[in-house]
Amino acid sequence: MKTETSLFSRLLLRVALVLFFGAAGIVTAAWFYAAAAADEAFDRLLQGAAFQIAENMSVEEGELAINMPSSAFELLGLATRDRIFYRVVGTKGETLTGYEDLQSPVDLAESRRAPVFVSTRYGNSDVRMTIGARAVSDPMLSGWVYIILAQTTEARTALTSELTTRATVLVAVMACATLFAAALALRLSLRPVVDLSRVLHDREPQDLTPLAVEVPRELSPFVGSINYFMRRLDERMRLLQRFIGDSAHQIRTPLTALLAQLSLIDDKGLSDDGRHHLARVRARVEELSHLTNQLLGHAMVIHRFDSEKLVPIDMRDIARRAFKRAVPLSLDPDIVVAFEAPDEPVTVLGDALSLREAMVNVIDNALRHGAVARLEVRVRVEAARALFEVEDDGPGIPRARWPEVTRRFASSRSERDVSGLGFAIASEVATLLGGALRFREAIGGHGFTTIIELPLHQETKA
Amino acid sequence: MIRTSLRLAILFLLLVLPRGAGAVEGDRQVFQAAVEKARLVIHGATDIEAMRPLLEDFQALRPDVTLDYVDYLTNDLFREATEACAAGKSVADLLLSSSVDQLVRLANDGCAVAHRTTERVPDWANWREEVYGFTFEPAVMVYDERRVPPEDVPRSHNDLAELLRQKSETYRGRVGTYDIRVSGIGYLLAFNDSRVAPTSYGRLLESLGRAETVTRCCNNEVLNELRGGTIAIAYNVLGSYAYAAHLRDPHLRIVLPRDYTLILSRGALIPATSREKALAGAFLDYLLSERGQKKARDASFYFSANGPLPRGVDGPASLVDTGIGRPIRIGPALLAAQDQAQHRRFTGEWSAVMRGKNPDITPR
Repeated sequence: MKTETSLFSRLLLRVALVLFFGAAGIVTAAWFYAAAAADEAFDRLLQGAAFQIAENMSVEEGELAINMPSSAFELLGLATRDRIFYRVVGTKGETLTGYEDLQSPVDLAESRRAPVFVSTRYGNSDVRMTIGARAVSDPMLSGWVYIILAQTTEARTALTSELTTRATVLVAVMACATLFAAALALRLSLRPVVDLSRVLHDREPQDLTPLAVEVPRELSPFVGSINYFMRRLDERMRLLQRFIGDSAHQIRTPLTALLAQLSLIDDKGLSDDGRHHLARVRARVEELSHLTNQLLGHAMVIHRFDSEKLVPIDMRDIARRAFKRAVPLSLDPDIVVAFEAPDEPVTVLGDALSLREAMVNVIDNALRHGAVARLEVRVRVEAARALFEVEDDGPGIPRARWPEVTRRFASSRSERDVSGLGFAIASEVATLLGGALRFREAIGGHGFTTIIELPLHQETKA
Repeated sequence: MIRTSLRLAILFLLLVLPRGAGAVEGDRQVFQAAVEKARLVIHGATDIEAMRPLLEDFQALRPDVTLDYVDYLTNDLFREATEACAAGKSVADLLLSSSVDQLVRLANDGCAVAHRTTERVPDWANWREEVYGFTFEPAVMVYDERRVPPEDVPRSHNDLAELLRQKSETYRGRVGTYDIRVSGIGYLLAFNDSRVAPTSYGRLLESLGRAETVTRCCNNEVLNELRGGTIAIAYNVLGSYAYAAHLRDPHLRIVLPRDYTLILSRGALIPATSREKALAGAFLDYLLSERGQKKARDASFYFSANGPLPRGVDGPASLVDTGIGRPIRIGPALLAAQDQAQHRRFTGEWSAVMRGKNPDITPR
């Protein structure tokens, strides 16, 4: 499974993107709110201070007496690091006290109804400015007096960034937790897909039975399609098998007749050349007959597994019968054959006929292509497995070719010798019985060995 | 070249002009390093004699630094610093002034650079890390024990007001204080008096006015009048000057008022135009350090925040713990004192009351 295109990473990436942009949005909003809250809080101080300055003014002898209250500056001093600028503008627009160059960016008259707040610059600093107005009504002096009060924004900025930082930390923690939870949830939801793919992956190539996995509703059409397709494939395969079986059966009869006819030919009347040709024709016909028998055997095996139930059988008996059938009486007397089996029964679950067919094929193959002077057939038990071994002193099969010899007609292409269906049948039977066909290279005193390995049947009455 | 000729000009003025008439109150002293690697120009509104032990001690730590100290009147120092800041000119590397309100105003106007110190500084003696208070100086009353009988010794602001009221004939013209129109520190103390205790300030000012109080520009001038016998009681003198006078003449006794005692912390500020900011910071660190503080207590300013009162001073055992000591917080509230309209009004009212029949105070 390639991770870069996996459903999991694609989904997680999208979730992460949504989370990231969501978090960025929230942090931006938090910054705006924090800035607004900081302005709100410190504007109150500014307004309070301006109000105090306005309240402390009085008209004395036709002149405005300004009594700058320390408390107003102490109030502003609550923002400990901020500098303070102010100007009091008299009724004629003249500067009464304060910083003469402190200018308001808005019309002073705007502050008559309510105090005005504005962010601007003074000197080299960003400042927040308030403009307060006070009406003076005295017989000798009347009009509007304005208080322009500005404060640098260090405390506001500090408060804003502190609030924003906290919000950011919270959002980041939340986003991480959400992403983690999403990853877990995705893993969990995608597990059926992973399971299904594993089941498909682990399947034997010959297994065309329907998939038996629990899947969520969303996946069942998919599994249904696979099963439908497999069923059709299975039906086609059966039809094909039956056709091959029938064909083999039909061919066998004329072949037998042909062999009989061949044996009737009197070769004494033939020339040497003719005798030679006759011998080759006979060899070819026998080969054909063998192949036809194998095809029949194969068709039979497949048929039996479709219809017969598996029963506990003793592997020793089957092996002995197979040995008797496979080793012909006319065997080259130079070849030493041996059969070896344990005293206790070796019980496996299987179909006697199919298993015998498989064993016959393995022994037959060893006799045809392997054994030079020695053939040993053994039944033994090892680690809860029943082993049927056929060892010969022949050249064996190179390791590289092991996988392909169990395929049907595999060896016919690369070698003149036809091994035909022997290993294919054996392998098929072993697999269907829950075991496998294996090979062992010749080492030390042992020759090349072909093994049918089956699970031992546990004697449980269930 | 230009700087040298400027210095020469200042020196010339110092020599030629009578004391107090020119822009410069005290004098200039150069503490030459044996091998000069750096030069720190300090303009201070603090007597050179008070500063000398500190300057010499610092030079012992940094022998390669030449210290150039010029003594000013607070208002002149402020004017010069304001002009230098506006023009972007470098005049001094470090400013020391007892008129901390002026330093706060300079910092507020952006004429200072921040200096982060690792020394411990009380909260009220630090604003924006630009203005630091490095001394602890109570505003005290000084009297001459030969002229003031024990029963007359005032121990609070009210006592003084009452004394001047009841024995007005005895003490007429025998009390002295700052002229707040000339002295920034005098104005700051009077302004804080009026804020801390408005009623007793009003009474006291009234009494001072009626008693034809002698007003002088500076601490030492007031103390000189006391020593010379012209006056018997001096009001609102900084403890450091008073104690120095007491050491010279033990008959001059010091009283810390028991109702409240204003505490001033002399301020230090590094101007934005300082050429030797790091060095100025190092000197500032020295002033705030344990060694500098100890030196200041022993040799220059005598009082300290946590130490006992100097010997022979009449006052509460601990100014801070009893709450009698009222530190003048270095902060934006001092801007109120610095307001032009406020200053005009306050000094106007002060001189109106003080004038009375007093020949010293002439209307301006």
